[in-house]
Amino acid sequence: MVTSLVIAPVDVPESRRHKKRIGGITIPTWIGVGLLALCALLGLVVLLAPAFRNLWTAQDLRATFLPPLSSGHPFGTDNLGRDLMWRTLAGLGVSVAVGLGVAFLAVTLGLMVGIVGGYFGRAADVTSNIVIDVTWAFPAILLAVVFAGWLGPGLLTVVLALALTEWAGFSRIIRGEVLSLRERDYVSAARVLGRNKVAISLRHFVPNLLPVTLVLAVYFVAGAIVAEAGLSFLGIGAQPPTPSLGSTLAQGRDYLTRTWWPVILAGGVLTLTVLLLNSVSDQLREHFDPRIGRRR
Amino acid sequence: MSYVIKRIGYAILIMFLASLVTFAALRVAPGSAVTSILDPARTPPEVIERYKEELGLNLPIWQQYVNYMANVLRGNFGTSLFDRRPVFDLIADAALYTVVLAFAAFVLAFGLGVPAGVIAALNRGGWFDRVIRWVTSAFMSIPNFVLALLLVAILGVKLRFLPVSGASGPANLILPALVLAADPWSLTTRVTRTAVVEQLGADYTRTLRARGVSRTRINWRHVLRNALTPVVSLGSVQIRTLLGYTLIVEVIFRWPGMGSQLVQAILKRDYPVASALALLLALVVVIASTVGDLLLRAVDPRIRSNQAVIS
Repeated sequence: MVTSLVIAPVDVPESRRHKKRIGGITIPTWIGVGLLALCALLGLVVLLAPAFRNLWTAQDLRATFLPPLSSGHPFGTDNLGRDLMWRTLAGLGVSVAVGLGVAFLAVTLGLMVGIVGGYFGRAADVTSNIVIDVTWAFPAILLAVVFAGWLGPGLLTVVLALALTEWAGFSRIIRGEVLSLRERDYVSAARVLGRNKVAISLRHFVPNLLPVTLVLAVYFVAGAIVAEAGLSFLGIGAQPPTPSLGSTLAQGRDYLTRTWWPVILAGGVLTLTVLLLNSVSDQLREHFDPRIGRRR
Repeated sequence: MSYVIKRIGYAILIMFLASLVTFAALRVAPGSAVTSILDPARTPPEVIERYKEELGLNLPIWQQYVNYMANVLRGNFGTSLFDRRPVFDLIADAALYTVVLAFAAFVLAFGLGVPAGVIAALNRGGWFDRVIRWVTSAFMSIPNFVLALLLVAILGVKLRFLPVSGASGPANLILPALVLAADPWSLTTRVTRTAVVEQLGADYTRTLRARGVSRTRINWRHVLRNALTPVVSLGSVQIRTLLGYTLIVEVIFRWPGMGSQLVQAILKRDYPVASALALLLALVVVIASTVGDLLLRAVDPRIRSNQAVIS
């Protein structure tokens, strides 16, 4: 007699079994592809903005405050007669570049300090926590000023100031993750095999921290874009010849009684960019940890 | 009790280090106090020397720090480089405005955020929940100065509905407070909603229900109490966020508080005013996070902070 091999029915949730598909691809995947395409478009703007320099610097004082849909200027012109479409695109490129720089620096610093704090002994933990708490006590704008003193106001100042304040919160999260990762069996195994702490950190912690890092890095890019616009709006960030959504908004405010169009345009582009990056961050989170994503 | 003492001691340590940072920032910044008052090219060297002597800039650096702190602890922050008034008086004038504005925003954020989050969670998937999700998403994506400019353009310039600049009356408070509260309100609503949903699905809730405890009683006595923990810890973080936002919101609405004062001091390189404000902001943030930690322990006895450095 042959014993039949019984396979227990796997409990597949209803939603998983009958996912709607368009062209053989599920809708969440389409959303992901769409978001990635938009991100690639942003990257393209960053790379190409410098090449079209003469388009966004050209002034024409005979054609100031043109409304949108004017001939030759689909988005109108600003107070110096510069084309608003090109100004906005170039400003967006600058913003995204600043955001990427801040995210890269903050994430690198935060990862290092977080791992050292979480794994390299009590003294390191106490020290890193004190540094984090002191950093946390100052608003980013204050650091921006100190750096503006050293380097002069400008985008480099903004990047350094934001990176040097934003890493602290991230580092705290990483430390918490490391505290749980260090108890894993494979870490003990590596210890027994005689690996040192640096090797374990690079080999075991960093790869396992990548998902949370990526989710937060995208979130940082969005945060830094807003902060850069804010600092430029206040006059501490990008200086006049450099295009920036923040400076466009500041000019827009000065001429608000005359036209509200630049404010709507620059503000709208800024908001949509942040919305895009926030949804990418959410999608990534859902991808890496569906449990968290579903709870939203 | 010993935790309370340790936590306060830690806060004092952080404040000490923060004061070192503001002191150093003041020294490092180019254009010392003397050169921003006097033009070095046109002032005789002996006059500059006398000013330096008078301001104590020739003393060893540690002694300068001791003097600086001794003055700060006595409430003497020096005089503004521009209008020659004591920094303490300048800040005292502005502080009241910022406290009123930040308090209004804080009350709006929590007073409207917590109930909205609870109602959304209790009616999960309902129309209110969906509306809340959309509105909070929108508020979290729109930078607050963009929101401010939009409101100024629509309500102030087009409709002339509300005053958009200055602080001449209570109506001036409405727009800045709303703008300042938008983002913290969204976050509070979301965190509250998530916390309540989590508690509603917890095992103890089901057990209580199975034992015949009424829904209302479960919600009021158990779910809301347990959902409070993340909301309280959010509160202390929100103070820092609010203070950061006041900088830009006060500038836009020309609200004469500490935020616009700090931005002005920074742009004019009025270092005594800027460093005093920085120290004050740091003090508020440190106090907020200390009080937050202590409150959290009071609300949730389970927290024995095995992850915190000081236990």
